[in-house]
Amino acid sequence: MSSRIIYVIYKEVIHIVRDPRTLAVMFLIPIMQLMLLGYAMTTDVDHIPTVVLDQDLTSQSRDLIKAYQASNYFDVSHYAATEEELRRLIDKGSARTGLIIPYGYGHDLEKHQSAQVSFVIDGSDPTVARTAFAAAQTVAQAKSIQLAGEKIGLTLETLPGVSVHPRVWYNPNMKSINFMIPGLTALILQFLTTLFTSLSIVREREQGTIEQLMVTPIRPPELILGKVLPYVAIAFFDLAEILIIGVFWFGVPIRGSVPLLLAISTLFLLTTLGLGILISTIARTQQEAMYLSFFTLLPSMFLAGFLFPVEAMPTALQVISYVIPLRYMLTVASGIILKGVGLRILWPEVLAIAIFGVVIFGAAVRRFRKQLE
Amino acid sequence: MLRRILAITRKEIIHIIRDPRSLSIMFMMPVIQLILLGYTATTDVEHLSTAVLEQDQSLQSRELVDAYRASNYFDVRFYVSSEGELGRLIDAGEAKAGIIIPAGYGRDLTGDHEASIAFVIDGSIPSVAATAFSAAQTVAQAQSMVLIERLYGIDVEQQAGIDVRPRVWYNPDMKSANFMIPGLIAMILQIQSTLFTALSIAREKEEGTIEQLIVTPLRSIELIVGKVMPYVAVSLFNLVEVLIIGVLWFGIPIQGSVLLLLALGVLALLSSLGIGLLASTIAHTQQEAIFLIFFLMLPFMFLSGFFFPLEAMPRVLQLISYLIPLRYLLVIVRGIILKGAGLSILWEQVLALLLFASAILALAASRFRKRL
Repeated sequence: MSSRIIYVIYKEVIHIVRDPRTLAVMFLIPIMQLMLLGYAMTTDVDHIPTVVLDQDLTSQSRDLIKAYQASNYFDVSHYAATEEELRRLIDKGSARTGLIIPYGYGHDLEKHQSAQVSFVIDGSDPTVARTAFAAAQTVAQAKSIQLAGEKIGLTLETLPGVSVHPRVWYNPNMKSINFMIPGLTALILQFLTTLFTSLSIVREREQGTIEQLMVTPIRPPELILGKVLPYVAIAFFDLAEILIIGVFWFGVPIRGSVPLLLAISTLFLLTTLGLGILISTIARTQQEAMYLSFFTLLPSMFLAGFLFPVEAMPTALQVISYVIPLRYMLTVASGIILKGVGLRILWPEVLAIAIFGVVIFGAAVRRFRKQLE
Repeated sequence: MLRRILAITRKEIIHIIRDPRSLSIMFMMPVIQLILLGYTATTDVEHLSTAVLEQDQSLQSRELVDAYRASNYFDVRFYVSSEGELGRLIDAGEAKAGIIIPAGYGRDLTGDHEASIAFVIDGSIPSVAATAFSAAQTVAQAQSMVLIERLYGIDVEQQAGIDVRPRVWYNPDMKSANFMIPGLIAMILQIQSTLFTALSIAREKEEGTIEQLIVTPLRSIELIVGKVMPYVAVSLFNLVEVLIIGVLWFGIPIQGSVLLLLALGVLALLSSLGIGLLASTIAHTQQEAIFLIFFLMLPFMFLSGFFFPLEAMPRVLQLISYLIPLRYLLVIVRGIILKGAGLSILWEQVLALLLFASAILALAASRFRKRL
């Protein structure tokens, strides 16, 4: 049996090697994803370009502008003379926020009254807008406390108050790349194995060579194993590539056990290979196989919490996310890499991955065999 | 000339219709993307599961916990009695934040001192952590104001307060769908049509039928136009599909002119068709075409401002983004739909897109002709 599998593997490797461009793409895709996600993905918003309309022109209004600038959230990039000018700058997107300090602001503060300012926020990008919204108020609040303190002769340091000492665990600098690396390892495993398995089987069917394989003494399980094993090897190579670049280039710490991660990844491959085989039994052309693979990949990416946190989704989608195997693999990968936890904490996820693997792979092999007969 | 183009278009339509599954996927794909992006693409996290370790057990500490609970950001689900227990809950992911109020907190506050608390945040998802981080400090700041009022009788907000009136323009509820759906429209115009064009020509190459077309009296320009026309139609159909679902289902307000949007959409399609054509001159097989497009799609998605704001990226990536047509298209589509902007504001973006489309089409057509 094993020698027959080796022949199928050999044949598949020849196919892969004959197409060096696709091979190169297989190895380059993870690097490219890493670089893009590592450098482009920043959800932390600071230095928002801000336009200021200061109608008051007092030392108090300048003080407030300075406080906003010092907060690091806002960069005063423009000064406008009229509301129309401010609107135009925000319409064009040159500024994302606008601070309007009306006439009389300094006067109100001197008389110990509450003074009003307007803060215009471009809401089109909600992530930026929400940060700006909260920061606009926090800065003003801090300034108010300082002014109140001055009134009774106390400075910020001597005022009573609650000071918060945040301790951010697992990822102290809240770097996005630390979050992306575990996710990418899981995603690459699913993407490569599902797409390539389905494409390679469908290609044989499209070109009619699958009949030739069937008249040989190779049995269906051997055929499947032989065809998918080279892609499993590539997937693991990519996984190692991601981890190595992650650790040495981006300085992501791996806190848990790498062998454990590899073992659970192998278990997860049962699911993704199963999906690939299942797709190959449905699709008739390579194009269809590609569409179907993307069809399974897209919801996985979005619902598993790869890009956006599951906690922020509507409840119905959170419920659906429980039937997405990638969700569990993401938890496992980030648990092992970032938190350094082991099976004692991750066993429910591992159990889910095992169940998915057995069910999906089993169903796929059965369908595949039935189709050959 | 027109007759020959139409003949090619007819041939391509027959190809498309013969494969009803791919056809239905072409129409279904945008709907699925729309629903996924419309509902999942949000980093707005509220009601974070929170564990509290109250070592102080005073009136003041309970007051602080209440303030955190009332803030909507934190859901106090666990009361723990040791740091080890708190650590386990966060390790397991059952709690994302932990408040530790040390013994002496209440005494410090009544004694006019500053009192400290520790706030543990699970940093593994940075966007969640950043929200929790700032919310933790905002709540404490508000609590400090309450304390100042109680101790000194100064109502900070009334007597010395700066009252900020935020006005959120364009998207007052800060709904993610309002941001993602216009982006998706740009994405569909750019990616889908590129993929279709590249695949349809690569298929002819793989099957060797392109030689048959070359021996006909067709000129290469007629071949190109005839082949891409049906895909232009599909892409425009998809654009309208996404617009309709966006408006009727997600309630996206379209502030600007739909006609302008469609006109600029056609301009964007020209640039995508150019990229697709260029890819088809490079790829020999469908599989290669798929990977080439996928390879392009990644920087398009991440460097255009589709997911993440350009301002936050390193300088080098910002410079690269100028080479990505989707960047301009995103500003145009979001500008028209959300801001109601017209040509007087968008002309720079339109010009950039126009330049890009003509350059890429010219390059693709000359390479394509040489290949034939």
